[in-house]
Amino acid sequence: MSERVVVTLTLNGGRRTFEVAPGRRLLDLIREDAGLTGTKEGCAAGECGACVVLLDGAPVTSCLVLAASADGHDVVTVEGLQQSGSLHPFQEALVAQGGVQCGFCTPGLAVTGAAALAYGPGTADERARLLAGNLCRCTGYVKVLEALESASGEKADRAST
Amino acid sequence: MDVPIQQVIRPATIAEATALLATRPDARPIAGGTDLMVQLRDGRKHISCLVDLDGLGMAEIRRVDEGVEIGASTRMHSIAAASEIRSNFPALAAAAGTIGAWPIQCRATLGGNLVNASPAADTAPALLIAGAVLTAVSTAGTRPLPVAGFFVGPGRTVLMPGELLVSVFLPLAQVPPGCRLVERFVKAGPRREQVIAVVSLAGRAVVRADGTFEEVRLALGSVAPTPVRARRAEAALMGRRPNQETRRGAVQALQHDIAPIDDVRAPASYRRIAAAVLLDRFLLEAARV
Repeated sequence: MSERVVVTLTLNGGRRTFEVAPGRRLLDLIREDAGLTGTKEGCAAGECGACVVLLDGAPVTSCLVLAASADGHDVVTVEGLQQSGSLHPFQEALVAQGGVQCGFCTPGLAVTGAAALAYGPGTADERARLLAGNLCRCTGYVKVLEALESASGEKADRAST
Repeated sequence: MDVPIQQVIRPATIAEATALLATRPDARPIAGGTDLMVQLRDGRKHISCLVDLDGLGMAEIRRVDEGVEIGASTRMHSIAAASEIRSNFPALAAAAGTIGAWPIQCRATLGGNLVNASPAADTAPALLIAGAVLTAVSTAGTRPLPVAGFFVGPGRTVLMPGELLVSVFLPLAQVPPGCRLVERFVKAGPRREQVIAVVSLAGRAVVRADGTFEEVRLALGSVAPTPVRARRAEAALMGRRPNQETRRGAVQALQHDIAPIDDVRAPASYRRIAAAVLLDRFLLEAARV
């Protein structure tokens, strides 16, 4: 039996400590140990983006991060995107634009999209590239990208007023 | 599901890390983990003890005398976005920006891309044309390793057991007065995003005012057991102007620089054609810019 690892991290704003196996993935810590099942497991190889969370503000595929490596770091999952009880502006836009169909990719898309908005509005091509690591087999991406565009437009509007 | 390891150690200093690697033959470093975690999960690698490099820093991009030094743990996204890299080593910035997608680039490290030693490693051709020198540290001391001799075969490098790659130095390009520098990284694959290269090519050309080449450096990925310089193609271009005849000669010479194989991503015959197309496009661009 391998030794256990103590992982203390900030999870959606709260400081949490977990004792996990050395080979625990951040994804499993989030879903099984913390019980936050919004983050999904798709390919488990870093290709589909269903498990994307923010690690120190940067989007990462949590299936490829050791839970031990997240010790001392800040993690935000889809559950942590809402601010004071309301959805993140990109989540609002996904709903408004019809950017959600089966929904499996949506949490990962929401997290990457939120990070993309924080990173900067950019051009349509730049926005599409930032979301390229989140595979969606339903929407064809058009409405997802429209949602990101409208959310980034609103962000730019707010910044200019 | 957990990856099958027994232990993970998080050293606080490079000295601690190298001491661990020297005394624990079962220990291997992990940085971004974007390749290693998949290999562990699939049982393609068996490692009982991982040494997590995350706490060591090693993620700085620093301007130093006559070049730029990049810490081995620097993330691809940082490299792709850094103005120091974009302006001085555009092929490396472009290569880093095509590895996986954004969430991978926020995690994957330069050192990991090199040590993983895939023939398709995207940063390798860019480092080859830059004449990069890697620095490896062990309890025995520090060793400079020119990237030109670093790769030995698929998944194999000259790093010795216990050695840790800590940084990569890129010398600034020497551009004589009156010459201009053209540097590009291009990659062929089945789609634009999230592609493991079927063929990749990094090119650097120093072009004289009359359009002839003062210097040309070419390196390719996915066309040989390691990323390779295309010395014969370079020789066919030196001192010449990239007109149709010169380009045809270079493309023919290139076929002797590469030794592609058939694999799941493409047949060798396609790689030969794609390599020729990428080179021709680079030369056309060098002629135009």
